[in-house]
Amino acid sequence: MKLKFLNLSALFILGFALAGFSQTADEIISKHIEAIGGADAWSKINSIKQEGSLQVQGTDVDIVLTIMKGKGTRQDITLSSAGMTGYRIITPTEGWSYMPFNGQMAPEAITPDELAQDQDDMDPEGPFINYKAKGHKIEYLGKEDVEGTEAYKLKAEMKGGKVETFFIDPSSYMVIRTVVKQKVNGQEVEQQTDLSNYEKLPEGIVMPKTITLPFGELNITSVVVNGNVDESTFKKPD
Amino acid sequence: MKRLFIIIPAFIIALNLGAQINASTFGVMEARQMGPGTMSGRITAIKGADSDPSTIYVGTAGGGVWKTTNSGASFKSVFDKYCQSIGALAIDPKNPKIVFAGTGESNMRNTVSVGNGIYKTRDGGDNWKLVGLDSTEHIAKIAINPINTNIIYVAAPGPLWCDSKHRGLYKSTDGGETWEKILYISEKAGCADVAVDPKNPDIIYATTWEFRRLPYSFNSGGPGSGIFKSTDAGKTWKELSNGLPPKPFGRVALALAPSAPDNLVAIVESKETGLYISADGGENWKQQSATMNVVSRPFYFASLEIDPKDPKRVYRPGFTFSYSNDGGYSFADASDAGGWVHSDHHALWINPKNTNELYLGTDGGVYSSLDKGATWRFFGNLPVGQFYHVQYDDKTPYNIYGGLQDNGSWVAPSQSYGGVDNGDWRDIYFGDGFWACPDPFNANIAYAEYQGGNAGRINLKTGLSVKIQPQASSKEEELRWNWNTPLLTGAANGHNLYMGAQYLFRSTDEGRNWTRISPDLTTNDKKKQQQEESGGLSADNTSAENHCTIFTVAESPLDENMIWVGTDDGNLQYTLNGGKTWNNVADNYAKAGIPPHTWVSSIEPSPFDKQVVFATFDNHMYGDMKTYLGKSTDMGKTWTWMQSDEFTGYAQKIRQDRVNEDLLFFGTEMGLFATVNGGKDWFRMKNNIPWYAMVRDIQIQPRTHDLIIATHGRGILIVDDITPMREMTRAIAEKDVFVFKPAPVKLTMGNFADGGAPSTGGWVAPNPPAIPPIQYYFKDRVSKGQVKIDITDMKGAIIQTLPATKRKGLNQVYWNQRMNPPKVAKAEKLDQSTFIAPQVLPGNYLIKLTVGDKVYIDTLKMIQDETDDNYTLKDRELNYQSSMELYKMHEELADLVEQLDLKEKILKDRMEKTKNGKTKALLQQYYNELEQVRGKLIPAEKTSLFADVKRLREYISEVYVSLCSQEAPPSNLQLDRIQSLKKELTNYEAEHKTIEGRYEVRAEQALKKEGLSLYGQKAF
Repeated sequence: MKLKFLNLSALFILGFALAGFSQTADEIISKHIEAIGGADAWSKINSIKQEGSLQVQGTDVDIVLTIMKGKGTRQDITLSSAGMTGYRIITPTEGWSYMPFNGQMAPEAITPDELAQDQDDMDPEGPFINYKAKGHKIEYLGKEDVEGTEAYKLKAEMKGGKVETFFIDPSSYMVIRTVVKQKVNGQEVEQQTDLSNYEKLPEGIVMPKTITLPFGELNITSVVVNGNVDESTFKKPD
Repeated sequence: MKRLFIIIPAFIIALNLGAQINASTFGVMEARQMGPGTMSGRITAIKGADSDPSTIYVGTAGGGVWKTTNSGASFKSVFDKYCQSIGALAIDPKNPKIVFAGTGESNMRNTVSVGNGIYKTRDGGDNWKLVGLDSTEHIAKIAINPINTNIIYVAAPGPLWCDSKHRGLYKSTDGGETWEKILYISEKAGCADVAVDPKNPDIIYATTWEFRRLPYSFNSGGPGSGIFKSTDAGKTWKELSNGLPPKPFGRVALALAPSAPDNLVAIVESKETGLYISADGGENWKQQSATMNVVSRPFYFASLEIDPKDPKRVYRPGFTFSYSNDGGYSFADASDAGGWVHSDHHALWINPKNTNELYLGTDGGVYSSLDKGATWRFFGNLPVGQFYHVQYDDKTPYNIYGGLQDNGSWVAPSQSYGGVDNGDWRDIYFGDGFWACPDPFNANIAYAEYQGGNAGRINLKTGLSVKIQPQASSKEEELRWNWNTPLLTGAANGHNLYMGAQYLFRSTDEGRNWTRISPDLTTNDKKKQQQEESGGLSADNTSAENHCTIFTVAESPLDENMIWVGTDDGNLQYTLNGGKTWNNVADNYAKAGIPPHTWVSSIEPSPFDKQVVFATFDNHMYGDMKTYLGKSTDMGKTWTWMQSDEFTGYAQKIRQDRVNEDLLFFGTEMGLFATVNGGKDWFRMKNNIPWYAMVRDIQIQPRTHDLIIATHGRGILIVDDITPMREMTRAIAEKDVFVFKPAPVKLTMGNFADGGAPSTGGWVAPNPPAIPPIQYYFKDRVSKGQVKIDITDMKGAIIQTLPATKRKGLNQVYWNQRMNPPKVAKAEKLDQSTFIAPQVLPGNYLIKLTVGDKVYIDTLKMIQDETDDNYTLKDRELNYQSSMELYKMHEELADLVEQLDLKEKILKDRMEKTKNGKTKALLQQYYNELEQVRGKLIPAEKTSLFADVKRLREYISEVYVSLCSQEAPPSNLQLDRIQSLKKELTNYEAEHKTIEGRYEVRAEQALKKEGLSLYGQKAF
């Protein structure tokens, strides 16, 4: 009898879950925002500095990702075994890239196209929170398989022109994959990133600690929220 | 209560989902799309964006839609999840991101596929939606009103094989959301062409077409064919006739001049087929030329275009490519200068911004011209070949053999130096290609054919061939050969070579002599043998309609005397005595619900049990698109119709695995399906396989366990090593985590190099991984905690840590059989050694799979390839030993450089802090001497990528990188070099010590006088 009762309650839960199939973009987005800590918690975030390690065939690459609301983003890439560091900086007005690994001798300016499309990256909240006010357009495109998970597919056309498709796991409402499509300098570029290992930070926000890129996996080892990020971080280095 | 009824089935579905084995279980086993692009395949539609002419969409007969954003430098498939047969494309003239794809090719040849409606994308092909017309089966043209682009017209010829109301001209006024039929003739006649006047878009021209195929004949023409005009956007229609030939018409191709739209041209199939022109919007017509290329095969060549700027420049893509400068009165043919242009053209797009630039779609891919079609360049990067069959041999690597629609027969290795590129494919026979088989015992020979059983034995070294087609004896009727005649070697005895006409023939001497081993195995229905009368208004008898023939032959892998034969008219016969007597079981399959007289498309006598046989039945030529897969467990006496909700498309091929009898692969006109439980549950395979691929043949290479798939529009696909599909059971699927027991792994640095330079274009298929993956299964995607794999020695010391995937279903992670690379001395320039480590030695290692807080441990045995005489275990050990010596030298050098760097930093700092001139001079001297050593160890100055500066680090790397990346022992001079470099390193270390000995104490004493020091926390 007990078993029967249990089954029956499971029936109802499942039934409701399936009945709620016709999701809208806004419903998914609001559940996603809730899952990542809520808009309130994110509104208090001014800067985030993440440090982590990317492994490429046994070689460690140290990564520092810094983002400051409206001021800039910066990625530092250090090949520790060779003691070499490169970076990419985006600010509202200019951007710089220095990749010494392949022989670059000095920082090089980022093209206006790339700069325009990367402007939206200076928003730590991401595209979903207050997306309408931010000028992004988001559309729900139904479910699609992501490595075996039938995920919600949301396409965001960002204000700056970047088109990013998000795949959200219906069981957790976390983003498990993004595909960014940009038309940069006359060429169409697509990049896929998988996100996992989400963790809640003391500030109440939830962030992925594993970021899988086509060439390797980045594991975040430390996150500092609203720390002392100096604006000079985003200046062109000498 | 009502809710409960709804919920119960939902619950059952949900339960099944929990541990279901389906497409996603094996999603990681991505097929290699082998292409090739060298002969490409039939192209049915090409449309560029008028406002952005470097963006072009290409529709294909069996390979979906491909998009380029760079005028063809690269193409991307954008229609992998939908029907692969494309009839027409159209781009919204006001918004190039909006594209319509009408599925179902309308070049109504015998092998044309079917569509399932019209699709729309609003984002340039990233996402598509089916928006209607799902029963039309064939769509020939889509025209959009250029002023109000929500108004769309679709010409739908409709079903080819039966009467249907789902044909005619359709119109949408809401951007494709809803459709209305605005011109309808009859259940036999659909609409073949439509054009909208760009200046007055209420003026519409449409041509109607009466046509029909039967399995054994074709008719083009009838009272339903005509040319119509509407001046009120399709509300009312008027038939045009003044100056046109007498009816009946067949197919009519029509074009208007965009720059002067009252000027029309039309190729009218009739008793007087020719090109007709009108200068007054179709009211009056005049006959122009009737060149061979204008009149040839109107049912197949239905393209006609006029230059967007010049109303007199008319293009006729047909059997050849011809163009006219006088409105279609005279024509010239394209030149072959710069390369042959494949015959049989079906699509042409002219860049309206530069009308010299043309894109042409043929039976053999896409070409472009920059001189208005006089000369052409081929695009080798569209892998849309239409294979009929595929075979393999047992060479290492094995080769694949297959024949294609209008593109002959080809052979290529399954892997090659730098990947399998267009140049790796060799054409071995001509015409339309079908079966192409290696001789299992004579590596120099293959058998191939062209249409109608024209088979040859080919010398693979020279390409020379001998015709081997059996001939009728005086006692026999004329032989009837199918378009796609079976030609194959036996599965039990490879010396048996079979060919089927209405009789089955066998040769045991490479096709030199043949024995007829059966009576007529078909129904021999004479009504179905009138092919000379086929075609309708234009005679067309190319062997494509030959009927009452043997279509499929299968020798049981268990017994060469047991042979199964299936015919195109529905007989299914077997012999148990090598052909002495035959049993027809056609009546038996019909009792299972499979329609009688259905074309038997493939037979699979089970390799496990002689009583078991599978067969596929294809009834689409009678308008029945259902999926018929039959199984008998009593030698054909009784049959089960195996069904699944997953199935789509008519059945083409069934294959049973050779190891696990419950593993079956099933190919239809719309997809590849698999089951791991003998057919209880089927799933569509989506692992980099287009979801609705037209699967024509399936093979499993017995040595590599690769699944080889021949598609009719996406070339050859290979799923490497299907062992996990054999091993996946329900019991495993229900586990949260399961690690597949790894088989011993041979140490290797790969079968092939990557090639000298990157590919300069064309289609390049990747090679399979040279090493087997570490494999594990997750019931669900791991969303919490880290997932990683540590490779350790048996004591647990880490050799390499690998990021591990966390997908639902099977996961595959590749370990490169190496340790972590060494620490390398820092310098301004990156050193190669940073990325390479020595290959490990044979022995046992541990795989530690960490999933969050759980660890799963298994042993991995790495073994020496004992058959490799070029790199013996002793060689390997010598290589390892020397590599490790250099590895350690790198790390020692890195330490030394680190010490020097640190000390130099301290000295610089103290030089600034000291106020004593003598101390400063001492520190400077100290610094200089250290820097002198440092300068010999690494390139100290920052230099350009192209200015090599070699120091000790680079010399160590030279030998180290060579040894790490070669399967060879060190040479005598490499060994000497290691010793001399080692000595050099030791000397520098000693020199460093000497310098320290000379200065350290003195410097410290001098600094102390000022309260400074070289050491301590404040040292720097």
